[in-house]
Formats: sequence, structure tokens, C-alpha cells
Amino acid sequence: MFDFFEPLFFALFAIGVIGAGAAVVVLRRITAQALLMALTFACMAGMFLLLGAETIALFQVLIYVGAITILILFGVMFTKQDERPYGLFFQEQTPWAAAVVVVIALPVTLLAFSFKDPATPSAKGGDLIPLAASLFRDYAFPFEVASVLLLAALVGAIVLVKQDER
Amino acid sequence: MTVPLGAFIAVSAVLFFIGAAGVLVRRNAVVILMCVELMLNASNLALVAFARRAGHLGAGNPLDQRGSVFVVFVFVVAAAEVAVGLAIVLAAYRNRPTVNVDELHEMKG
Repeated sequence: MFDFFEPLFFALFAIGVIGAGAAVVVLRRITAQALLMALTFACMAGMFLLLGAETIALFQVLIYVGAITILILFGVMFTKQDERPYGLFFQEQTPWAAAVVVVIALPVTLLAFSFKDPATPSAKGGDLIPLAASLFRDYAFPFEVASVLLLAALVGAIVLVKQDER
Repeated sequence: MTVPLGAFIAVSAVLFFIGAAGVLVRRNAVVILMCVELMLNASNLALVAFARRAGHLGAGNPLDQRGSVFVVFVFVVAAAEVAVGLAIVLAAYRNRPTVNVDELHEMKG
């Protein structure tokens, strides 16, 4: 009875992801671009929910829609935005870009649509416990390395933006 | 009736190309950072879709969740990248008040 819900929501999320993503590239109003990027990330979280990765969708909302969007908005506010005109479609590299797109995008599209679904789909939802077990048991060392990377990024960001007291 | 996994891969590919076009076309450093984030997010969608196809996703799964684990690491790298990237943009902005990457050529020597 509710079989049409999943394709319907997929279509909505796909329109949101692709439309807002294209608007991020094409628009010239930087605050609107940042908020549309947040909309892209939110629709992507919906895609993760459709795929049955609830925990990843939660992280997506927390990290991308929350933290990264706020960080980008701070970057927008700290700098003066004087956008130069640019040529998106009518410039001299357009034929080369079209050739590259045809060479790369066509095989990718064919591959995507020749893709077979698994015969026995796994159970959806409830991936927090397997993910946590996998992350803290099988991948404990890469997890620690990632935390060191975050610490290095924290210290590096502070050092880079610190004013010199000379 | 479920959505075929290929549709997710197609959306991921389209978003990746949109982000790549933005990185190549736009000259505003903050917009370039946004487009890099879009590309990373597209790769996350592809990772989750492939993990679902390989049966690595879901409750009570005996296999390890390597796709989801990799997505978590991509989140970590994306957060670190945007923090350091914006710090570099702000540091360069202090020397020369512009965010246009065409005008930031002082490291060329």
C-alpha cells in the first residue's frame, strides 16, 4: 500500500541534492549558496535513511548540516566577498570540458544503470550497534589515527588564524 | 517496489561532477571549499550504496561495517579539511584582502 513512498522520497531527495548542488555552483549570492549547500547535505541525509544507514544520516546532519555549514558561514562573514564575473558555459575551454565529460560521464552512467541489486537485501535500520562494534574493535587503530588528525587540524587552524603579537 | 541502487550511484556521480565543475569554474576560495564538500559528500553516498549492495549494512550483520566505517573517516577528513582550509583562506585574506584565488599568487615565487 505504501510502496510508492520510497521512490517518491527518493525523487524528492534527488531533486533536492542535484538542484541545490547546481545552484551552489551557479549562483552568485554567497550566503544563499552556503544555505543551499546545507539543503544539499540535508537531502543527502534523507538518501542515507533510504539506504538504511541511520547512523550515517545522523552523523551527516550533525557534522555537515550543523558544523561545516556554520564554519563556512563564518568564513563568509570574515571575508569581503567581491565576486568577479566568470564564464560558466561560454568560454574557450567549453569544447575540451564537453569532451572530458563525455569520456568520463558516459561510462559512469552506463555502469550505474547496469548495476544489479543484491538478491537478498539486508535488513534495513539499526546499524548503530554493528557500526560501533566494527569501529571500536576491527578499526580501532584507524579510529585513533583519525582522532590524531582532528587534533592536528585543530591546532593547525588555531595557529594559522592567530594574530601575531609583535 | 524499491529504488534500484544504481539510481543512488547515478545521483552520486552527478553531484560529484557538479562539485568538480564548481571547483574548476569558480574563483572564490570559499565557494571552492563548498564544492569540495559536495564532492566528498557524493563519495559518501557512493560508499553507502556499495556497502548496501555488498550486504555490509544493516542490523545484526555478521560482516564488518567497512563501508560505514570508511564514511565516518571521510566525515573526519572533511571536517579537518574545511577547518584548515578556512584558516588558510583567513590567513591569506589578512595579507591581501581578497578571496579570489586568481589574485593569490604570492607563493608562486
